[in-house]
Amino acid sequence: MDSESVKKAVIKQVLIESNTANARQLIEAPRTRAASAKINENCFEKCIPKPGSSVSAGEKACITNCMEKYMAAWNLVNTAYVRRIQQEVNNNSFET
Amino acid sequence: MDASIEQSDLDRLSDKDKGELRQFMTNEQQRTRIQSQTHALTDICWKKCVPGAVKNNALDSGEQSCLANCVDRFLDVNFTTMKHLANMRNQ
Repeated sequence: MDSESVKKAVIKQVLIESNTANARQLIEAPRTRAASAKINENCFEKCIPKPGSSVSAGEKACITNCMEKYMAAWNLVNTAYVRRIQQEVNNNSFET
Repeated sequence: MDASIEQSDLDRLSDKDKGELRQFMTNEQQRTRIQSQTHALTDICWKKCVPGAVKNNALDSGEQSCLANCVDRFLDVNFTTMKHLANMRNQ
């Protein structure tokens, strides 16, 4: 392998690992931070208020809707957060 | 993790590519930090702004503005706390 293909291989591997870690964090609460609940916990809370002997069709539909809605919320929060950080950087808020 | 990249391959990197990789890693670390913070904020703001039952797969306009406000107010609190702590330290 030449330098260029080694570089590309490293970049590809890093992207795969960080994107997988991000997706995992979205779905499940990291074991190290018990307080942060993600899609699983939040949508379980919303869609299965009284657990029955199986997941009903209505509960399944709710879970699908909830997942998509949670991801929309994630994207919106990410945009708002990045915008605010950029604004604070422009205002030199991080200088002490 | 990936067995296909060996130490001997890394030794073949040119100085220019090493520099580019270093920059790439710095950017990735920042992206990871922002995404982690987004996970935490989404969790906090979801609980505040989406209180009712889930009726469809989209956020209504009230929920959308609440989420955006939630992020801004959370960061306001964050900055206020940091400023207050800095003042206490200087007293």
